Amino acid sequence: MANQTSATFENQAMWAGGRSPFNLSYGKLMMWIFLLSDAFTFSSLLVGYGAIRFSYSGASIAWPDPAAIFNHFPFMHGYFLPLLFVSVMTFILIFSSVTMVLAVEAGHRNSKKEVSKYMFYTIIGGFAFLGCQAWEWTQFIHDQGRLDSNFFGITQQGYEHLKDVKFGDHFHWNEGDRTWGPVPFASLFFIVTGFHGFHVFSGVVLNILVWINSMRGVYERRGHYEMVEKVGLYWHFVDLVWVFVFTFYYLI
Amino acid sequence: MGNFAHTPGEYDPINYVPHTESHGTKELWRTFWLLLGITILDFILYFTMPPSLFRNVVFVFFGLVKAYYIVGAFMHMKNEKINLAMCILVPTLFIIGLVMGLLYEGHALSTY
Repeated sequence: MANQTSATFENQAMWAGGRSPFNLSYGKLMMWIFLLSDAFTFSSLLVGYGAIRFSYSGASIAWPDPAAIFNHFPFMHGYFLPLLFVSVMTFILIFSSVTMVLAVEAGHRNSKKEVSKYMFYTIIGGFAFLGCQAWEWTQFIHDQGRLDSNFFGITQQGYEHLKDVKFGDHFHWNEGDRTWGPVPFASLFFIVTGFHGFHVFSGVVLNILVWINSMRGVYERRGHYEMVEKVGLYWHFVDLVWVFVFTFYYLI
Repeated sequence: MGNFAHTPGEYDPINYVPHTESHGTKELWRTFWLLLGITILDFILYFTMPPSLFRNVVFVFFGLVKAYYIVGAFMHMKNEKINLAMCILVPTLFIIGLVMGLLYEGHALSTY
């Protein structure tokens, strides 16, 4: 029973004031709470995508198969390479998450030089991802994907054509393979990846600010690199969201 | 932030920053290889398994595993106090209700 008493006492002391109950700074706690609310926003978008997609089950022109649309790769024009480019984008984002967490780790050691170095790598990763996304959007728009219309209603003939195409084959749409399809497919593609891309962009801006501050020695004078941790939390969250966009948009 | 007058040594909720220590980079790199491995596995399964509900369940499961490692290792949730972890993670369970509710409603929305 002695244990129980001391545990109760500890709990009371935890919330009795005079200490941080979560052993966390104000800013970091607020970042966690912001990320929780952002998680709800993104899950609404993704679950809304699911609901609308399910509402098209049994439609005469079915919801398109993502592999039939996102099958381009830079400098490999005309080849059927579904999922490859998004996998590369996923890799870029995961790798920039690693450099971010290395910057946080360097911040724990108060190493100004290393924090600046890894923040720089993270910014490069962020720009690389944004560039990839711009390329992806350009391809989609080029193939007649619009916010208010979608030319990816794949006909019976189109599916017969796709059936014979293997990974790495030459591939071009024939006349009559495609028709006007479910509009929400295209609009939700722009909205969800656009909302995520805007998060990446904001993250890059924050990363640049922290990078400049760390180089100027602001955090060194302050005595801690907590700002790197806070921005890092945001950056990892963006990576986390991409994991689910990748799963629901491209895999399923 | 300087408006909060406090005596030295006293707890100051606005400016308090806990002391942190480096846990090394070994676990971080391990997490990276794990995430990369699962993504490659996703890629392989996409082409080797025929589309089915089971395959979708596998993909969602892999997504949740990746989420666990990103939040746990990269965002240091494993090193935070359990109270904070519960405050942030338990509310995300509501999303499961949203998923089940809206996917069920999706069939009802159908006009076909």
